[in-house]
Amino acid sequence: MDFDDTPDEAAYRARVRDLLAQHAGDLVHLDAGEEAADAGEQEQALRRTQRVLAEAGLVGVAWAAEHGGQGGSLAQQAIIGQELARAKVPSLINHIGIGMCGPTVIAHGTPDQHERYLARLLRADDVWCQLFSEPASGSDLAALRTTAVRDGDDWVVNGQKVWTTLAHVSDHGILLTRTDPDRPKHGGLTMFVVDMHAPGVTVRPLRQMGGQSDFNEVFFDDVRIPDTERLGEPGEGWRVALTTLLNERVAVGGGGNDLGLSVESLARLAAAKLPGLTAQRQVLARQAVGRAAVAALGNRYTGYRRLTAISQGGLPGPEASAGKLAGTAAAKLVADAGVRLLGDDAVFAVGTGDDEAGRWQRNQAWLPGIAIAGGTDEVLRNIIGERVLGLPPEPREDKHRPFNASGSTR
Amino acid sequence: MNFDLDQDQLDAAAGAKQFFTGQASPAQARAALEDGPLAPGRRALADIGFLGITVAEDAGGAGGSLLDLAVVAEQAGAQLAGPSLVTAARAAVLLADQPELAAALADGSRAFCVVDGSGPALDAVGADTFLALVDGDLVVGGGEVTTGQPMDATRGLGVVTLTDPRVLVAGAAALWARARDVALVALAAEDLGTAGKAVEVGVAYAKERHAFGRAIGSYQAVKHGLVDAWVGVEQLRSLVWWAAWAADAAPDELPLAAASAKAFAAETLERAAETCIQVHGGIGFTWEHDAHLYWRRAKVDRLLLGDAAEHHDVVAGLVLAGALS
Repeated sequence: MDFDDTPDEAAYRARVRDLLAQHAGDLVHLDAGEEAADAGEQEQALRRTQRVLAEAGLVGVAWAAEHGGQGGSLAQQAIIGQELARAKVPSLINHIGIGMCGPTVIAHGTPDQHERYLARLLRADDVWCQLFSEPASGSDLAALRTTAVRDGDDWVVNGQKVWTTLAHVSDHGILLTRTDPDRPKHGGLTMFVVDMHAPGVTVRPLRQMGGQSDFNEVFFDDVRIPDTERLGEPGEGWRVALTTLLNERVAVGGGGNDLGLSVESLARLAAAKLPGLTAQRQVLARQAVGRAAVAALGNRYTGYRRLTAISQGGLPGPEASAGKLAGTAAAKLVADAGVRLLGDDAVFAVGTGDDEAGRWQRNQAWLPGIAIAGGTDEVLRNIIGERVLGLPPEPREDKHRPFNASGSTR
Repeated sequence: MNFDLDQDQLDAAAGAKQFFTGQASPAQARAALEDGPLAPGRRALADIGFLGITVAEDAGGAGGSLLDLAVVAEQAGAQLAGPSLVTAARAAVLLADQPELAAALADGSRAFCVVDGSGPALDAVGADTFLALVDGDLVVGGGEVTTGQPMDATRGLGVVTLTDPRVLVAGAAALWARARDVALVALAAEDLGTAGKAVEVGVAYAKERHAFGRAIGSYQAVKHGLVDAWVGVEQLRSLVWWAAWAADAAPDELPLAAASAKAFAAETLERAAETCIQVHGGIGFTWEHDAHLYWRRAKVDRLLLGDAAEHHDVVAGLVLAGALS
């Protein structure tokens, strides 16, 4: 047992660190919780950052060389993630494209689609989004209602998607539709690549509870998609979507990184604020800091176990769902301890002093979304209960009925 | 990055599981509440070498790491075995420069108990050799043990009055502190085993018991409680492994890791044991069922060697002093 890089990993890390230092002038750098003043300028800067990283061979390293990647390992991918965080380079603008859409196109797309999309995706020439959730189907994704109807060489799409991260800056998306409502809900779905600039696609940003606009609702009105943009066979859309969702778990469940502001940030805040508290308040604050630190460390070291499995060539299984569940819980303890340390200043969304209060407030207002996105806490508990502990599923009454007779359309 | 057990440790865990499954059980923990003997007992633990895992080889031990001991302690915890490997691990640190006493620990010819001040000491019942810190010195001596009616008889708790203490090591505060941290890790490892077992027993029952026409484990209210307990066990496993590894490989990290593991063990085992009872419904509240024996272990262990509040405060102090930076 050790926490050291293997000699190969150490050499790789050194190379990544060198490359990040060499290109530092062309990369965006942001402190955790810091926000750019101008969203439009930020988008261009983030696209440029990803292009620079891609040209340095640091994007999609675990993808095969024929798809524009480096043919590297998930362990190398994890090292890049750690070094980007260390250098304070924010998430890649196309992280959904790289983590979820790209792997789905690789697994189910045609050689022509590979050729047209993958290299541009890695360079952020095109930004991608994932068009899955709908107003009436979030956790119950297979109950979605957006329809695609065959018309000659095209499909005609009508419906609405929602909670679509990055749709407002996206050039392409992977779109899950219902093509056969007479079949049971999982069997009547088909996946497409959609051009987000096509006529009939309307993107409307949604404002989140914290005030930011990272995601959108997307309307499809008679949008024509050529049949050549289909991913997988008609009716096979659920199987294709599972590829996406598995990769989402790999991307999100990963290495036990702190979600939101780190426990180290909390330690710095606590060291600054504690001396100003009464003795009784210090006792309470220390309990909160200690509890949050233990939760964060438990999650961090559990992440190291998953990284070990990846480093030895394994793939994260459904256990990775536990990483997001525990990571979210730890992040909430850290955020809550931090906000309470701000005391009276925490009643303002942005504090009266420096931006420290704003950072903690934004963090606090961001975490409820993390407990929902990419599998709610409850869905993750079902996955772990059924696929890890082997507990029986709840009866799903609509599973075998034709979708249009299942009650899911109400 | 290689944060996993090696093959020798996996083999040791499998061997220990077989040993403890054969030599100890919740049934014997129940019998101990009615004056039955401890199982497996000191003799059997010494014979298989578990009391000397971390005792030096030239003193008759295996010269192993705390992680080697922790994987065995997890299996001991799963069967509510006694006496505890906590005492063996802690005494081995204190006796590192006392080859004769260390040999007597490893071969079971002496029954050790480590005493913290005037509080109840683990494995005091039946002990003949007591170790304590008096005025900064490590002392050894006999002792008079006063016990109450036990919550968990496998822990052998008693209040000790030392008799004829003599100084073994003068100025032993640092040694004592390290031994106490090692004890926290071994206790967390035993609690990991007990918590894992409580979840396993609860999950098995939730698959088998039917209510309202289906297995109760299919209901999310039941399922999610078991999942939360299981997630806690896996997080605890990571903290125990880290802390045990740190004891030998990164001693500077041991105080933070040991306090984290103990604090998390206290709450994780408590939740696992309470969930186990709740999932079993009325049957889980009976003397005959094993659930209360895990619960007894939880309710006692959470208070031993400092409770979660004490260790959360220790963690906060270390973190504030820059332990993570």
